[in-house]
Amino acid sequence: MKETMNLNQHMPFEETGTLPDEWLMDYATGNLSTAYATLVASHRSFHPALQQKLSLVEDIGGDFINNASPMGLSADCLSKTLAMLDDGGADEPSDSTAYSRQNMEDFVPKALADVLDGPVADQHWRFLGPGMRYAKLWQEDSGETLWLLKAKGGTEVPIHDHRGLEMTLILKGSYCVADQRYEPGMLEMADDAVANHAPIIDEGDECICLVVTDAPIRLHSFVGRLFQPFIGL
Amino acid sequence: MTTCAATYPLEAMSLFLPREQSQWPSAPLTAAASSREMTLKKTKQGTGVKPSQNHDLSQLTHEDLMTRIDSVRDRQAFCLLFDHFAPRIKSHLIKLGLEDHGAEDMAQDVMVTLWQKAHLFDAEKAKLSTWIFRIARNKFIDLKRKRKYPTVNADDHLYAMPAVEETDKPVEQKQDADLVSEALKTLSADQRTVIELSFYKEMSHSEIAEHLSLPLGTVKSRIRLAFQVLKKKVGEWS
Repeated sequence: MKETMNLNQHMPFEETGTLPDEWLMDYATGNLSTAYATLVASHRSFHPALQQKLSLVEDIGGDFINNASPMGLSADCLSKTLAMLDDGGADEPSDSTAYSRQNMEDFVPKALADVLDGPVADQHWRFLGPGMRYAKLWQEDSGETLWLLKAKGGTEVPIHDHRGLEMTLILKGSYCVADQRYEPGMLEMADDAVANHAPIIDEGDECICLVVTDAPIRLHSFVGRLFQPFIGL
Repeated sequence: MTTCAATYPLEAMSLFLPREQSQWPSAPLTAAASSREMTLKKTKQGTGVKPSQNHDLSQLTHEDLMTRIDSVRDRQAFCLLFDHFAPRIKSHLIKLGLEDHGAEDMAQDVMVTLWQKAHLFDAEKAKLSTWIFRIARNKFIDLKRKRKYPTVNADDHLYAMPAVEETDKPVEQKQDADLVSEALKTLSADQRTVIELSFYKEMSHSEIAEHLSLPLGTVKSRIRLAFQVLKKKVGEWS
């Protein structure tokens, strides 16, 4: 859904690692794919102030509704609605994935916890390269993939390019790309304008990130190329 | 947590909308209505007021009508809200791409939710039209998407806040939807167009750029600029 963004033209985001306004708007209007929306909602949990912007978008939506040209309704529309009022909400969908913090790590935002079947540590982690593991959460029909990345402190992520957009939310630990450090709650967006992307995980704690990619990543290293066909990212 | 009926994400997302009791421009509170409002507040505390006979409900704000629906299950109050909102919700949904019949069904559904979940509406935190937007949005998303659209629980704040928070100010400032309405009128036609396309066309920014024959960067900066204008206006006026 989201396409290439030349983020080099818009740097303010990089200074703070918070989501650009046009993405907030797409989230609050319901315009994002679920993969991106999960990442954005998770990001929001780290930044209470973003809520005000989301509320602004909803106020705009409310204003659009309030000022919409009224459309004619069927003659029996009101009477049918009145008849439904006291059905007692029989069609309430059950909340099968009720959010539970039980056993969930502290760094997991609600929006992410809602889509996990257990703690992050218990996900189906697979080998991605030396010091790196990934757990694929799901893939949209459009190809956008939501996944978790786990890397040991000091790991150098293989140099790679992007064919589309790669959006990364740091949940735990930290890493650096060139001079920029990314810490928990910060977003990094990298697109095909960002060549030779090579994050280096800070020494010490492991780093865990929530990632959305909308096209396969091109790894440069031999190991990367070797494993690329199997990982489906 | 998309299903508004069960988990009320719309409510969750509303918690950061602190605001004063709003006054509906078309139905200002008269002195008489104010006294009725007092009665309504008492009603909430359990003094008991009979449903709407002898009340001139047309003088009440939309938010006050919601209070009546919540406290005394006032069907007449519901009918007034239905008359105003149902045809507009239908219009909104048609702009989102639903056909006539589907839009009307969903508008009905939104109004039923409004009745059944009236106790969750808090006029201190959201304007009714904003709340209705959220209900309609969530129902629309449920219809369109296979997976639940993740929503934000306003209480979900992680302990690990990022070190860099320069752009984030604490959420203290009141945000008033009436001010938003006024601020929207100050946008340039260009700015308004990109905002409307974002709402109604389900377009990516690239598609909007193509639709308007503009560079992608221009579309994004226009959305950001419109956003800045709105935030500034709302901040100035509140």
